[in-house]
Amino acid sequence: MLDAQSHFEQIRDTLPGDGQARAATLAAAEAVGLPTRRVESWHYTDLARLLKSGEATGVRTVDFAGVKALEAHFENGLLHGEPQAEGLSVAPFSNTIAHTEAPSPDTVMASYNHALAQNGLTAEVSGTLAQPLVIRTSGTQPVHLAHKISLAAGAKAVLVDDHMATGYANVVFDIHLGEGAELTLLRSQQAGHQVGLSRVTLEQDARYKSVAMISGGTLARHEAHVTLKAAQAHAELHSAVLGHGLSKAATHADFTYVIEHQAADTSSNTSAYNVLDGNARGVFQGKIIVRPDAQRVDAQMQTRAMMLSEGAEMDAKPELEIYADDVVCAHGSAIGELDRDALFFLRSRGLDEATARQLLVAAFLEQVTTHIDDEGLSEIMRQLVDTKINTLLGNLSGEVSS
Amino acid sequence: MSSLLDIKDLHAGIPDKPIINGLSLSINPGEVHAIMGPNGSGKSTLSYVLSGKEGYEVNGGEMVFDGQELAQMSPEARAIAGLFLAFQYPLEIPGVTNMTFLKTSLNAIRRGRGEDEMDAASFLRLAREKSRALGMDDDMLRRQLNVGFSGGEKKRNEILQMAILEPKLAILDETDSGLDIDALKTVAEGVNALRSPEHGMLVITHYQRLLDFIKPDVVHVMAKGQIVKSGGPELALELEKSGYAEYVGGAETASEGSPAHA
Repeated sequence: MLDAQSHFEQIRDTLPGDGQARAATLAAAEAVGLPTRRVESWHYTDLARLLKSGEATGVRTVDFAGVKALEAHFENGLLHGEPQAEGLSVAPFSNTIAHTEAPSPDTVMASYNHALAQNGLTAEVSGTLAQPLVIRTSGTQPVHLAHKISLAAGAKAVLVDDHMATGYANVVFDIHLGEGAELTLLRSQQAGHQVGLSRVTLEQDARYKSVAMISGGTLARHEAHVTLKAAQAHAELHSAVLGHGLSKAATHADFTYVIEHQAADTSSNTSAYNVLDGNARGVFQGKIIVRPDAQRVDAQMQTRAMMLSEGAEMDAKPELEIYADDVVCAHGSAIGELDRDALFFLRSRGLDEATARQLLVAAFLEQVTTHIDDEGLSEIMRQLVDTKINTLLGNLSGEVSS
Repeated sequence: MSSLLDIKDLHAGIPDKPIINGLSLSINPGEVHAIMGPNGSGKSTLSYVLSGKEGYEVNGGEMVFDGQELAQMSPEARAIAGLFLAFQYPLEIPGVTNMTFLKTSLNAIRRGRGEDEMDAASFLRLAREKSRALGMDDDMLRRQLNVGFSGGEKKRNEILQMAILEPKLAILDETDSGLDIDALKTVAEGVNALRSPEHGMLVITHYQRLLDFIKPDVVHVMAKGQIVKSGGPELALELEKSGYAEYVGGAETASEGSPAHA
């Protein structure tokens, strides 16, 4: 487990910004401590236990190297290469987010990040980025990163968060989308311990789409707070989990969302597809808030889980908090096993059982991959899914549990 | 000539519930047999037992297909041997395109037979040719497997799979259910296209109508898990008039429960 105070002492001299303010923020965070299961938003993710348990190892099988992209590579917190392109301006890292309120157990991980953030990409996009912007995070050391991504009015970008670090990582994204801006954020975590938070605000006509694929890692906590501030803003959050591994080496993937519709005529669409084998655990908590004047909001939320073993667990908790009366909001949740009839159908067409199972799992996750518009990137995600399925699911569960 | 399918005194069902009770049936290459019978007579069970669906068990008798006893074979081994079941209720599988599925299936069967896989371009030509012959537009190959297909499109898609896999024996389980008359004709044309001196078919249906378009060589009446009467195409017409009443009284009173094919 990370000892935040001694980690701070170790890296203190290398940290930019106001050291006193950081020390004070850290002291306030330490006074609260890591969130326990008594905190509702952390009820299904016992952070202290997960950080203690298991080596944060994982197999990295697929990367984005083949894609022509702009890249910012953070290795153990150090930035290699600075992406340069027309329409992109990158500023040196500073740690100046106003963070005045005292942390609560709900927000304490952000406070740790603010106290300890050693680096991050600060980028402003104006216009359309011709290539995806890849943030690659690698290394074995504990790391705190704070990224600030801002899209000017009408700007368009595809951002890839390729998380391959095997150590503890606390990563915050602050994202602002100006009027009519469009951002796709593609995230992949194949290993490691990550506690992630994205704070996203959308102005009028802005569109945000996040597609996440967790294919490994003993802790993958992805919290997102999305605020739709003005009319016609639209947010989509799609997540796929391919969880595997036994006991302490098992994947733990937690998506916790708060999607807040502050304005009328905004919409959101959330889907979560979890395939869980071995002792993997999937968590989905999705809260949709519709503010009193936010009429004609359309908010959809779907969770589905395919359980491949009896030792796997899925916790799904969708919530609607609606204060307007003219809205269309729906949530649904389905947890099941591999469809035996579908398996028989495929076998009756000549596919052996293992191939049929792999095809059904891939098909299930394809319902997330299909949201990636960029063909090169979606192809990489498909490769990732296929490779993981072949190497992991092929071995772990031989039988379909009844 | 040896039979394509030879079922002798078959006893089968689900655990603790016998459904097929001493059924015998023999199909020669080139023949189309129809099985008709009331609900609950075991027609669909027979199709599942023949194709190897999990949960069904064989408790006695033989089912020899092309010289091989089926009972111990996996569903995929039966498909590789040349058996095909057109499903009564085709499944929807989101996330797999029809094209990918068809190609995976054909190549699995070719591999299983020790043949080379078909390359992508040849497969595309084959799939287009066969789907057009069934009046399906190319878009249906690109769509996800049966997702959003109408009942008729799903049945057509089953026949497309059959046309591409060219099985030695096709079992059509109520392929006519849910089809309007135009779709029925198209599907029947697809089935008839596969008729040849080498191929056999077992057509399971409630209604005589399908048999106007797929002319059977032999018609069997099934009741209580047995074949209770066999005859020519005229038997189907007779059933259409008189119904199944005389057969549901009791299989044991029917004439001998004779082997199907003379």
